[in-house]
This record gives sequence, C-alpha cells and structure tokens, in this order.
Amino acid sequence: MAVHQDTRNASPATAVSARSRQRIRVSLALALAALTCGQAAWAASADEIKSRGYLSVATEDDYTPFEFMKDGVATGYDNELLALVRKQLGVTVKQQVMPWSGILPGVTTGKFDMAVSAVLATDERKKTFDFLSPTSEAVTFYATKKGAPIKAAADLAGKVVGAETGSAMLTDLKNFNEELKKKGAGLKQIVEYQGYPEAYQDLALGRIDAVANTQISLMSLVKTRPDAFTVGQAIGKPVFIAWAVKKGNTDVARMVDAILLELRKNGQLYELQQKWLGVTYKDMPQSIN
Amino acid sequence: MDHLMIIWEQRADILAGLLTTVELLLVSAAAALALGTLVAPALMSRRRWLARLATLYVDAMRCAPFLLFLYLIYFGLPLLGVRLSNWSAGAIALAVYNAAYMAELLAAAWKGLPSTMIEAAHACGFHGWGLLRRIILPPVMTSALPMIGNQLLQIVKDSAFLTIIAVGELTHQMNSIQSTYFIPFAAFLTAVVLYWAICLVIEIGGNLFARMTEEKRA
Amino acid sequence: MTAYDYYSIVQGALATILLSVASIVLGVPLGLGLALIRWARVPFFGRVVVAYVSVMRACPMVTLLLLIYFALPQFGLSLDPTPAAILALTAGTAAYNCEVWRAALLNFPRDQYDAALSVGMSRSLRFRRIVFPQILKAGLPGLVNEMTLQIKATPAVAVIGIVEITRAALRIGARTYEPLPPFVVALVLYSLIVLVLVKLQRRIERREAAKG
Repeated sequence: MAVHQDTRNASPATAVSARSRQRIRVSLALALAALTCGQAAWAASADEIKSRGYLSVATEDDYTPFEFMKDGVATGYDNELLALVRKQLGVTVKQQVMPWSGILPGVTTGKFDMAVSAVLATDERKKTFDFLSPTSEAVTFYATKKGAPIKAAADLAGKVVGAETGSAMLTDLKNFNEELKKKGAGLKQIVEYQGYPEAYQDLALGRIDAVANTQISLMSLVKTRPDAFTVGQAIGKPVFIAWAVKKGNTDVARMVDAILLELRKNGQLYELQQKWLGVTYKDMPQSIN
Repeated sequence: MDHLMIIWEQRADILAGLLTTVELLLVSAAAALALGTLVAPALMSRRRWLARLATLYVDAMRCAPFLLFLYLIYFGLPLLGVRLSNWSAGAIALAVYNAAYMAELLAAAWKGLPSTMIEAAHACGFHGWGLLRRIILPPVMTSALPMIGNQLLQIVKDSAFLTIIAVGELTHQMNSIQSTYFIPFAAFLTAVVLYWAICLVIEIGGNLFARMTEEKRA
Repeated sequence: MTAYDYYSIVQGALATILLSVASIVLGVPLGLGLALIRWARVPFFGRVVVAYVSVMRACPMVTLLLLIYFALPQFGLSLDPTPAAILALTAGTAAYNCEVWRAALLNFPRDQYDAALSVGMSRSLRFRRIVFPQILKAGLPGLVNEMTLQIKATPAVAVIGIVEITRAALRIGARTYEPLPPFVVALVLYSLIVLVLVKLQRRIERREAAKG
C-alpha cells in the first residue's frame, strides 16, 4: 500500500539559515500587503448603474421568513418584495444569495450596491450605511426548547445562548450580557453561528440553551415547530428593518426607495407583510437615516 | 491602517481563536497518533479479519471528505445519546479522520524496516510488546517523522472546517470580526499569516526533533 | 426526505465535482508552470513562487475561500461565488502540484538533458519530447494523489454559500429537523465518487511499482 501524501509537504533538507532568510522575506512581503489593506473600495453611483444596466444586490440564503430557499428558488418576504421592485426598476437586478456574514461587508467594499435583506437599522450601522425606507420592525427576543426551565430573560444567566455572526441580534445579546453581568452573573457562553438553521438545530439537540433572533423569525420558527420551541422575552430595543446601501450612496437608495414607497401607497407592501410576517406595520416612517 | 488598528483592538478574541486552533491541533494530533499506532499493526496483522477491518477503516477515511465526516459526527453522536460540545465533536472528528492517515504512513514506515533487524531481535529474545516498544517503534517513528509533520499541517488546515460548526477557532473568530467591523481583507490576511506562523512552528519543531533523534542514533 | 431532496443532493454532488475538475484542469498545468519557473532559476519570480507555495501549504482552504470571496472586492476584484471558488481551489492545488512537478524535475537525469543539448535540439523540442513525457510518468502518482485530495477538499466552498453537496444536505436537514439522513446520503455518494478515483490511483501506483 503506497503512502498517501508523500510528496505533498516534503521540504528539501536545506540549511536552516537559508530557510529563515526566505521566511523573513516572506513575512516582509506579507507585512507590506497588510499595510495596503486600509484601502476602501468605491460603490457604483446611480448613473453608473443606469449605464451598465444592472443593480447588484445580496440576499441571505436562509433567514426565514424574510428570505430563504425553497426547492431551489429564492423566496420569502424580501424576495417577493424584490420581485415587485424589479418590475418597476428599469434596470435588471443581479441578485446573489449568500451567507449573512458576507452581505454587509460586501456592501462596504463595493461588491454589492445594495443589501436586500432583513438588515436591522441600528445606530452603529447608520454610521456606515444609508437605509432605505423600512420594510419591517424588529425586536430581539430569545427562544428556548419547549419546557426549558428558562421562564424570564433574567434566567438566561449562566446559560449558553447562540446568535448569528455579524448580526444585530448578536450585538443585542452581547449588550444584554453586559447588563446581566452588572446584576450578578452573565451568560455562560455566546456561540456564533454561520446561519440560524444551524443554531436552531443545536438548540433542538440541547447543545445550547437559547437562541437570540428577531421576534418575527422566532414566531415563524415556533409556527412550524410548536412542539419543539417556545419564544421567550425581549432582550433588545425595537429597531426598524430596511435594505441598506453604502453611506453616501443616496441616489442609488432613492432609485429603489421611490418604488418601495409606491408599494406602500398601493398597499402591496402591507399585503406581503401580512402574508410572510403575520403582522402589518402601517406606521413606519419614510426615512430612518 | 485603521483596519489594522481594529484588528489590534480585537486581539483578545483573535488570541482566543489562535489558542483554540492550537489546542485542537495538539489534542487531535496526539489522539490521532495514538490511535494510528494501534491501528498500524492491525493493518499488517496476519489475522485476515483484523487486517481487513483495519483496511476498511483506513479506506473509509481516505474516501470520505472531511467536512461531510465532521457533520456526521456532529449530528450523529447526539442521536446515539452522546451529548458533546461543538469543540469535542470537532476534536473527535479530527482525531478519528487523521488517525487513519497516521496508521497508513506508520504501516508504510514499518514495512520499510529491514527484516534482518526484526529477525535479529527475535533471536535475542524480544517478543510481543517489548519487541514493539524497543525495536520496532523507534525507527518507525523516526523515519515516519517528516510524514507525521505533513499530517500535522493537514490537521491545522482541517481545523478551519470547524468554523462551520461554530467552534471558536481562528477562522471563526476572524469571520466574526470581519462581519462586525467590515474589514474582510485585514481580518483574513491576518488569519493567513497566523496559520503560516503555526505551520512554521511545526516545521521548526520537526527539524529540531529530527536533529535530536539523529544525535541519539549517532 | 422527498424526491426533490435526493435530486438536490445529486445536483450538489455534481456541482462539487465540476468545481474540483475545473480546479484540477487549471491547477495541473499551472503547477507545471510554477515548477518550471523554479527549475529554470528565473531571478525574481523564482522566489515569488517559493513564497507562494510556502503560504498556500499553510493556508486552510476555508480561509482562502473567505479571503478571495469577501476580501478581494476591497481591491476592486469582485467575483461571483463560482469563479471565486475555482480561483481559490486552483490556487491551492497549483501550489501542491508545483511541488510534485518539481520533485519529478529534480529527479530527471541530467545526462539525458545534456545529450539532447549536444544533439542540437531546440528548447521547446527538448521539453516536449524528452523532458515532459518522463516527468509526467514520474509525477503521475503524486498528481493523482493530489487530485483525490482536491476532490475531497472541495466541499469547503460551502462557506461562501455555493449550493454544493454539503449545503444541499444542510438545507434539507434544517427543513426536516432530521439532519442525519441527508448527510449519510451525501457522505456515501461522495465517498463512492472518491473511491473510484482512489482505485484508479492504486492501479497507477501498482503499475509504477511493477515497472520498478
């Protein structure tokens, strides 16, 4: 039986000094590369978008009920809203479906013009992004396994709670942890997941005690699995959910915003809200920047 | 430059990730080597059923992609009633998967031993466990050392997969930082540099170890 | 698991294999090019190749994928997931292939090369007729070994959201809350594909060993 991987990492027997000289050179080169990483990328302006003919957007791949995949098709609240926007936009929409941790950084680096996703418009994010007119409202709640001994938010002390990497719900959870610590004991551990489906599975398996997510998503979860999970209490403050562009890219935002406000006027936005979220938010402001 | 400042500010989390990667490496490498040392003789055993069982295990690990195997352990063990943390599931997957490779390369090194040496040892009265420990294992370990070093590098690279099951190793921490502060390049470049540093340490350690055993032999 | 679920796993397996094949087809010649640069002792680029191989050997595929997909757009190079995956996979496998080709080149008997020179063969003829066929034979076990490893490493592209076999299985499990069946199916299916390649590899190794 021949040996696996025999020439894969084989290093020739060279003198140590030659090797270390080479390593110093490589580290200098890497350091040089590191110095250039402060470079900020540009975002396409509205004119550029109109001339090239498409708007590039990013949507999360598994965030029920806002956006998720069913039988290979992107569907959910944001996706159906986007479909309505596509009809009136005038340029094509190039949509990429990807994990959440790449969406907002993708907008700041100019990879995407707009994040068409359930982005919570926190004050922290308003420093880096401009938000369109809100599509929904959200409060961060937690959910547990049905029958768990956690009856109130304060009972989370000493427990393991999960949330999505790079999400506002994670930030809310961290702030909540700080508050808990002031009163005594904080959370035992915060586990960060690539997406909520993995977090819910771990919750069902008992690896974590609770999951922090928006109340809308958790309600949707409990609706599909009432035997497995229950929604707890709020651990964050109400924020609006909106699509986002890079800060300063206001004309691009306005292009789509006009359509969203139109959809409010003719009621289609609220129909979608009722269909996917189960509630309507009729009193959302037109601008939250 | 301010991206690097953000990275520097988050150094506690980054260090935690680096330590987790190193811990995973040490624990699973030790377990893989130990398990491999047990399986290698089985691979070469004259008892057909034992050899066949061991070969089946090694072939299965050779054919299975690590990520899918990891998920199998991650989702499968709880069904058997074993409640494990993500870290433990990841460490077990790393150990079991790489043990097969360790066994194979140890068996190859073993076959490379001159049979005259073993015959001479038999003549001097070495048998069974003593034979294994004193005569066979030392030269096997020394000649297999570069390959074991390669395998350690592979374990480091496989450890990055554990980010998918939410283990807080280096890549996971960097992904968390880049998605919170929107500094993807600085974050992942730092991760690459740190992985490179870990591999450097492994290589230097391997060279030192090889030199030590050379001295002992001479 | 519904019929569509099985179909999506098979589709995912196909996507994964196509990505592997693309990176192998690109990576083998690229590795040869890199090895030749080092063999010919090209002044500056030789060192660049050394640094490149050194970094790629140490970098996990997951991290490299995240770097290429999320970080390169900062420099204006914004790639869709599939091209980004092919770029990352190719970059990784080219580094290893470079080492395989280099080992074959280093073991190439110098006197054959000198004989070709003395007969007056042009450089391209020398390479095509004398050097290449022999290093291909010498490097074949290593190259096929690397191909097998590449096919097994490709599921890493799940981190950038490509719906390949791992993500397909994950989605099914997330919907049905029974994660194990789709993963068992995915594991068995993909292992069978790798098994074919491993058997082929064994046959090649045995043929080489028989030749002595």
